[in-house]
Amino acid sequence: MNEMSLITIFIAAIFTQNVALTYLLGMCPFVSLARSLKTSFGMGVAVIFVIFLTAAINWPIYHLILVPTNSGIIKYIVFIIVIAASVQLVEMIMERFFPALQAAFGIFLPLITVNCTVLFVSLNLVRQEFSYIQTLIYAIGAATGFWLAIILVAAIYEKLELVGDVPKGLKGPGIIMIITGIIALAFLGFSGMV
Amino acid sequence: MKEKICMIVFVLILGSTWTTALVVVDKYTRPYIEKYQAEKLRKSVLGAFGISYEGQDIEAVFSENVDVIEKGDKTIYRTKSGAIAFNITGSGSQGPISGVMALESDLKTIKGITIVSHVETPGLGDRVLEKKKLDTFKGKKIVPQLEVIVAGTAEKENEVQGITGATLTSKAFEKLINTESKEYISLVSEGE
Amino acid sequence: MLLKTVFGAKGYKVIKNGIWSEHPISSATLGICSALAVSNKVENAIAMSAGVVFVLLLTGVLISLLRKLIPSRVRIITYMITIASGVTIVDLALKAVVPTISEALGPYVGLIITNCIIMGRAEAFFVQNDTYHSILDAIANGLAYTYTLVTIAIIREILAFGTLLGFQILPGTWMSWAIMAAPAGAFFLLGTFLWVTRTLADIEPPGKG
Repeated sequence: MNEMSLITIFIAAIFTQNVALTYLLGMCPFVSLARSLKTSFGMGVAVIFVIFLTAAINWPIYHLILVPTNSGIIKYIVFIIVIAASVQLVEMIMERFFPALQAAFGIFLPLITVNCTVLFVSLNLVRQEFSYIQTLIYAIGAATGFWLAIILVAAIYEKLELVGDVPKGLKGPGIIMIITGIIALAFLGFSGMV
Repeated sequence: MKEKICMIVFVLILGSTWTTALVVVDKYTRPYIEKYQAEKLRKSVLGAFGISYEGQDIEAVFSENVDVIEKGDKTIYRTKSGAIAFNITGSGSQGPISGVMALESDLKTIKGITIVSHVETPGLGDRVLEKKKLDTFKGKKIVPQLEVIVAGTAEKENEVQGITGATLTSKAFEKLINTESKEYISLVSEGE
Repeated sequence: MLLKTVFGAKGYKVIKNGIWSEHPISSATLGICSALAVSNKVENAIAMSAGVVFVLLLTGVLISLLRKLIPSRVRIITYMITIASGVTIVDLALKAVVPTISEALGPYVGLIITNCIIMGRAEAFFVQNDTYHSILDAIANGLAYTYTLVTIAIIREILAFGTLLGFQILPGTWMSWAIMAAPAGAFFLLGTFLWVTRTLADIEPPGKG
């Protein structure tokens, strides 16, 4: 039984346990999308939704089906299929209600399936022995942390593009990594908080 | 319709084949994993007692130096000098922490603590669970209770210096140690 | 060239693409997630790379063998089930053979599933090519991943701990670069690595995203 309070879980997930800046995950969309603030913002929100949905579904599946039947061994297979199905669902909903937005995301929406952060949150609810409510709060917190990280990097990148003279080999993924590194350092400063 | 059935059948066959393969691999690797876990527990107990086992057969060193006493579902380890050790498990800040704590025969002074498993934040929370920090617990008293001081300096003999970047872990660990040691001490006393 | 005769013209191209011109990390910027997280010690980087190469080979062989049988609509699920199973095997194998490294890698082993390289190669290559070339492609990409990870890990381990594979290389008085042990160091190193390789291979910078 995990005794962390809900507030602590939430704050920690954003600042001191940030999936992108502390655990170094979710980098694929980072290097591709952190060049535009608008896309990053939208992608972050989509990720929040997907992570929440998959955590909400995977917890009961793990604790109510896999554990009692001693089938923990297939947790990787089950989790990733749930994630793929959830992303498909989100895509269908967006196509129906927000077609313009869905067109703007293009290939990146289905790519959320292989976003390490989504699977990481599901694996963590097992590893950190969260209760259902703790899992939901953790999921929202972790996803918000990711969103925060990507919009920060994108905002800086856009400004840099305007005024800086980035060397050719460094443009794009290279400089994004360096910006992210600096933000990660900055977030280290939060470590005394929690 | 036929296409849909084809798809579903394919996925089901794929899924079941793989699950069977995994069950086989699991059966094959399980004995190795359990053997490692048992050995790790022994090493942790020996480590907490401060008994060296470098380059020696763990089994031999263990059975030579440690008596295992079962009380219900709890296990107590005891050396010839009367020092005892036991499993301490509880909630850390990120998830479960599990370790072994050894007390001197006075049941008040810490002889040593080793950590078996934890999921604290790498580089932050887990620093208070590193060997270097755990060594500073040795010789400290757990009566009236152990206190991990994060803000300020540890001065009294029941105070240990925590780390500011690992406040939550330090506090959770302190609670864990106090709860578990009280439980095992009363278990030992009632037997005598 | 010798390599061309050994592997065949197409095989040679496959290898060259995988290891250099279409390096999964530098060129396609895939598989970066784990490259950062486990590169703090060389032994971790090696274990992780071995896991990735294993899953790449397993997926490569199976998908290319089954490519004519997989119904098109479920091909992504097929990749996922295969990759997830392969990773479960790697996880169990690590726990049984090198348990201390398995503990150090922690949850990152499971994340091989979401390593874009494997999924990417499955969709772009394995499902369209025969097994021989798929094996070459898997090995080439796996090698590319390995040398990137190990290079970063060597630099990080020496600077942060003064050791290499556990052996003390730098004198004990070396003031370790704590930043290299922290995530930020990994970002900086990867950024530099990308800079060097992309300049050398003359890769075009991406357009406005």
